[in-house]
Amino acid sequence: MTILCVRFQLPPMYEAALPGLLGLLEEFTPVVEALPPDGALADLRGAERYFGRDAVRLASVIRVRALARYGVDCAIGAGPGPMLARVALREARPGMTRAVPADAVAEFLAGKPVTALPGVGAATARTLDEYGLDTLGRVAAAPLSTLQRLIGARAGRELREKASGIDRGRVVPNAVSRPLVTERTFSLDELDPDRHRRALLSATEEIGARLRAVEKVCRTLTLTVRYADRSATTRSRALREPTAHSAALTRTAYGMYEALGLQRARVRALALRAEDLTPADRAAHQLTFDPVDDKTRRLEETADRARAKFGPRAVFPGTLAA
Amino acid sequence: MPGFAHLHTVSGFSLRYGASHPERLAERAAERGMDALALTDRDTLAGAVRFAKACAGAGVRPLFGVDLAVAPREPGRRDKRRSPVRGGAFVDESDPRVTFLAADGARGWAGLCRLVTAAHAGGGTPLLPWAGHQGEGLVVLLGPDSDVGRALAAGRPDRAATLLAPWREVYGDALRLEAVWHGRTGTGTGSLRLAARTVGFAAEQGVRPVLGNAVRYADPGQGPVADVLDAARRLVPIDPRGELDSGEAWLKDAPAMLDAAERIVEAAGFRRGAAHRLLEQTLATAAECRVDPEDDLGLGSVHFPEPHLVGAGRRTAQRALASRAAAGMLRLGYGGRRAYWERVHHELDIIAHHGFASYFLTVAQVVDDVRAMGIRVAARGSGAGSLVNHLLGIAHADPVEHGLLMERFLSKERVVLPDIDIDVESARRLEVYRAVIGRFGGERVATVAMPETYRVRHAIRDVGAALSMDPAETDRIAKSFPHIRARDARAALAELPELRRLAGEKEKYGRLWELVEALDALPRGVAMHPCGVLLSDASLLARTPVVPTSGEGLPMAQFDKEDVEDLGLLKLDVLGVRMQSAMAHAVAEVERATGERIDLDAVEPGDPETYRLIRSAETLGCFQIESPGQRDLVGRLQPSTFHDLVVDISLFRPGPVAADMVRPFIEARHGRAPVRCPHPDLEEPLKGTYGVVVFHEQVIDIVAIMTGCGRGEADRVRRGLSDPESQGRIRVWFAQRAAARGYDAETIGRTWEIVEAFGSYGFCKAHAVAFAVPTYQSAWLKAHHPAAFYAGLLTHDPGMYPKRLLLADARRRGVPILPLDVNVSGAAHRIELVSESKEWGLRLALRDVHGISEAEARRIADGQPYSSLVDFWERARPSRPLAQRLAQVGALDAFGANRRDLQLHLSELHRGARGGGGGQLPLAGGRKTAPAGLPDLTPAEKLSAELGVLSMDASRNLMDDHREFLAELGVVSARRLRTARHGETVLVAGAKAATQTPPIRSGKRVIFSTLDDGTGLVDLAFFDDSHDACAHTVFHSWLLLVRGVVQRRGPRSLSVVGSAAWNLADLVEVRRAEGLDGVAARLAAPSGADGTPAKDDGGPLRARVAGSEGPPAPAGSAARDPMADRTIRMPTGYEMHPWADLRPAGEDAARAPAAVRKLWHQSPGSAG
Repeated sequence: MTILCVRFQLPPMYEAALPGLLGLLEEFTPVVEALPPDGALADLRGAERYFGRDAVRLASVIRVRALARYGVDCAIGAGPGPMLARVALREARPGMTRAVPADAVAEFLAGKPVTALPGVGAATARTLDEYGLDTLGRVAAAPLSTLQRLIGARAGRELREKASGIDRGRVVPNAVSRPLVTERTFSLDELDPDRHRRALLSATEEIGARLRAVEKVCRTLTLTVRYADRSATTRSRALREPTAHSAALTRTAYGMYEALGLQRARVRALALRAEDLTPADRAAHQLTFDPVDDKTRRLEETADRARAKFGPRAVFPGTLAA
Repeated sequence: MPGFAHLHTVSGFSLRYGASHPERLAERAAERGMDALALTDRDTLAGAVRFAKACAGAGVRPLFGVDLAVAPREPGRRDKRRSPVRGGAFVDESDPRVTFLAADGARGWAGLCRLVTAAHAGGGTPLLPWAGHQGEGLVVLLGPDSDVGRALAAGRPDRAATLLAPWREVYGDALRLEAVWHGRTGTGTGSLRLAARTVGFAAEQGVRPVLGNAVRYADPGQGPVADVLDAARRLVPIDPRGELDSGEAWLKDAPAMLDAAERIVEAAGFRRGAAHRLLEQTLATAAECRVDPEDDLGLGSVHFPEPHLVGAGRRTAQRALASRAAAGMLRLGYGGRRAYWERVHHELDIIAHHGFASYFLTVAQVVDDVRAMGIRVAARGSGAGSLVNHLLGIAHADPVEHGLLMERFLSKERVVLPDIDIDVESARRLEVYRAVIGRFGGERVATVAMPETYRVRHAIRDVGAALSMDPAETDRIAKSFPHIRARDARAALAELPELRRLAGEKEKYGRLWELVEALDALPRGVAMHPCGVLLSDASLLARTPVVPTSGEGLPMAQFDKEDVEDLGLLKLDVLGVRMQSAMAHAVAEVERATGERIDLDAVEPGDPETYRLIRSAETLGCFQIESPGQRDLVGRLQPSTFHDLVVDISLFRPGPVAADMVRPFIEARHGRAPVRCPHPDLEEPLKGTYGVVVFHEQVIDIVAIMTGCGRGEADRVRRGLSDPESQGRIRVWFAQRAAARGYDAETIGRTWEIVEAFGSYGFCKAHAVAFAVPTYQSAWLKAHHPAAFYAGLLTHDPGMYPKRLLLADARRRGVPILPLDVNVSGAAHRIELVSESKEWGLRLALRDVHGISEAEARRIADGQPYSSLVDFWERARPSRPLAQRLAQVGALDAFGANRRDLQLHLSELHRGARGGGGGQLPLAGGRKTAPAGLPDLTPAEKLSAELGVLSMDASRNLMDDHREFLAELGVVSARRLRTARHGETVLVAGAKAATQTPPIRSGKRVIFSTLDDGTGLVDLAFFDDSHDACAHTVFHSWLLLVRGVVQRRGPRSLSVVGSAAWNLADLVEVRRAEGLDGVAARLAAPSGADGTPAKDDGGPLRARVAGSEGPPAPAGSAARDPMADRTIRMPTGYEMHPWADLRPAGEDAARAPAAVRKLWHQSPGSAG
């Protein structure tokens, strides 16, 4: 019972507070793994000895400190391994830490639905449900070969191990690396391609500016189009080189949009996500003999400075002015 | 100042384009002082007949025209756009449109018909190919949307001149350029600059200009409606920032048009006075378009197929008919009977008088052809009253024996076209149509159109989509409405209890309601009428436009069935009757399985077992007598002869039920009341029905006897009885004539009472006799070959009940239900000898599996037997979801015990087939499939799989699972209910089988519902004092628990008047989760959707009755007075409650069986 899974109750707009809260956990142990947007895993094996308290007691300390210093409440699950800690978290509430006893893991898991396991997504759960394997107890009882036939050799083996309470995972220390997302919604069903493109342009401008502000570049751009009937289409495209250059992002976004060929689709929202973020200073950039490219980049730099000084609406593309 | 005539006006018949009905347009034109008005609908002439009649009424001269998309002479290249991943492509409306007006009488009208036919000939979007143009008798208006107009809008007069040349070549002097000003800016359609350019261009080219207004709606302020229609047509939402309707396209009066003309000519650089010339040109064009509705459209004249086509050879049709009738006399053995000969001569006389002989020969020809194809065919309707029809083999029943009158069908006094309807097997209806077309040729035969009009649900869907509302929300709102008129939407919100929750959030939707009501009754699509076939001489295509139907490609006239009659086109109703198909299937199954041939048309009349079955009122699935009301009536009437069946069917009509003819009849029949007979002379017509007038024929006879007028005249009098005004006149006439014939005043008074009370509501006996034949036949099959009977019913699904209910009925009657099995089941339901019991069992059909295609079912059936799962997979090649469903319901159980294991094997086979890799090899010699150790389906899961896949609880009744809980509640089962006392308060429960809110004459709304609990059926009635508490639950739940009072009116007549209802599925859930205390808490809470407490039923119960007895006493709690002025008056004089269901009964049945998936009767009643 040495791993804690913590979920902070962050108001939606304050996701940026997560790194600070991770720092709080790091006061107890260096082995902290962030689970964006609002959670973290902490391995307290050393800390238990150092502080002379068991993990459940330490959980109370963590909660008190989080409340005192950040005004953020949290729910905590505890278990012998990271997977079990995460399953335990589902039943935990602020002030009531759920701990999985190391000797009763199988009983703890038996009645749980398969989706309780981290890593079991909707698709796997649907497959298992279809074959009557809706609880972890049934999954554990099913023959391994059958499970492997259902969801594949490796996934089947892992699933069966997990369902039987065998937790081989470790807590891997890492920092926050979250994709950047921005969304543009329409108040009515919007069919006009010009308005769609304007929404995309403003989205890429924003993403570019935000990337440059944190000195990151992204490798992949994902476009999600949401329709009036609540369905969505998603397309991903890798950029030619990792970049935070707005013009390059816009080109890619337009490319994905054109490929959809939408005509009568009732679009309610367009969302763009920049993924695979890496530090900007490690990114390569292909130089060209075309002076325009160089100019737009310098222009962008200047515009960024202007925005830093006079606010985000100080400089923006003319198309968006109307 | 000059007047004005609109030459370019569309009505609602321009689908999703015009916003006003033709009647409204004609009326407004008259009000605004116009002498002539053109109707130029888009792609259709369907409104022409109604428009002509409306114009005649309003005193306006009608002009006929059409607005067509035309292809250029040299078709250009169209660039293809990338096909969208979602939402579909835009509706292409880019083709230029031109208006054609009929100018030269019948020639012009024929020209229009041919143009429309040519435009639709290609299928898909109507487009007139250049080769379809023909200059005769037409005037052509090239408006802003024509190719010439567009070139002018683009600022290319040079190109416009080039494009004008081919038009001039074809139409020469009949060409006009139409200027339209809608106050728009720019140079597009409706702009002043384009209008001015058009007038200038016309002057330059020497083509006469006219002024139009491209009218889309009758009154100002209807622009938003046009926007909604545009959105619905283009399938896009309204874009408030885009170009909306100008609001100017209404039927403007002459001064407004003069004003427009002045603006246009000034902008074109002419003097103001030129405006008058523009208007004069317009009027002159209108004057040229002379088409007379009577002479040129053929209103009021009749056209039959040529005699030589119907077997007359070189003789006249009348001679041929007479000789065929005589041959029939001898064939049927009436040769020696004088009465028959006299009747035949009398009838032939009448036929000759009207010249309808070819009509009879035509129908006889069709019936002969159908019979030769081996398709069951029966005549229905008043045509069964004619002996000639019987002799020609059209009608089955002998009219003389049943006392049917020719005069009800046709007499010298009647000038309307007679109609003979024939019933054929529904599954082979299209075959019949093709045969008729083959016999008479495509130039004489066409099916009839049936416009589908906006009612509330569709209107909400289309307006919601246009206003960018959330589709899920729109769907919820639409579904919560019953099937009522769109114009009553807001009134329904205010008044209907089940809509109360929606009414609370009414304001949220803003303009929605107003627009929904504006769409009321506008046509939104055209379908083929399910039964009408037009038969005419070779001039059909010159009198009606014919278009191919979308699905079947049959030729279809654009007119609907009333229009067709007005146009004097002969219509033969060929109804596809599912019961005929079901019986044909049953007979075929018996022959296949046992070798026994049954001739249904020759079964023993008066079979005691059949009548025993009918009297037991367990008549589910029997033609015409299966509805809850009919079962109740049959239980009280206790029929024992064919004549009783005829009476029973006649009594169960809205009219007789409303006029309370049922009670006196039943009382007299069972000897509890004296037989009423005002005078011995009337004994003959009245004795069969105990002095109650049930049939039209009786009224005709009574009037004929008392007044001495002929029966033909008497029939005319009978028709006048439903109109209160003429009723007064008839009364005086009747009294005078009867007195003159020596009847005393009292007899006359009493006879008149009878005639007055029942005269207008009786039923045509000929109809009833025609109906009773299949009724008896189906009951006979149910009594003697139950398994085959159910196989037929389940295959063709003819009735009002869901299939699961028929299956429950079969189970109750001891027919073994054999599960689906890919090695045994056929595509259709079959019968099979069960080896242990030596009984015939019913084997379920592959066709009932959800999502199976005809081809797949046939492939599976053809490949039987299969030795293993792999064998089945490889040879039957089912799709994966289909195979999974088959496994779920146990159709593959033969290949391995566990259904989940089978599913796993199937998905691996599927993967193997795709990837080409090897799957697991089957063990046990390839016959059994190796177990994979998955948990099998639980019984509950099996049942829900059956309901999901087959829509039937095939292995056991679904209520069996709740037996224990129902016992706890003290629920009375349907079987035990039969012994319940009248007036006892009981709890009943079951799965809802049917809900109806039929028209009730009292103006109250009654919800009838039928529950099935596995032991039988419980019929429920909810009167409007319980609607507040129950309506929502009844409409929106499937499993119901109902508290009510038993109403008993005969040994077999029983119903429960509901006072409270709960959703049983919820209660079962509560029972499981919270135990009995939870259930108690739920029952203690007020029932009903909105917390209105259920009415206490401990008070004095009103002695009201459910079922068919008719109007409950008008003592409801909810005052419904505002309803009075909104009642719907039917053409028959019958008044309907506005919330009664507008869908004709059995509309669902018109669809293909595969399309109908239902677990309960699909809401002919209401929102349920």
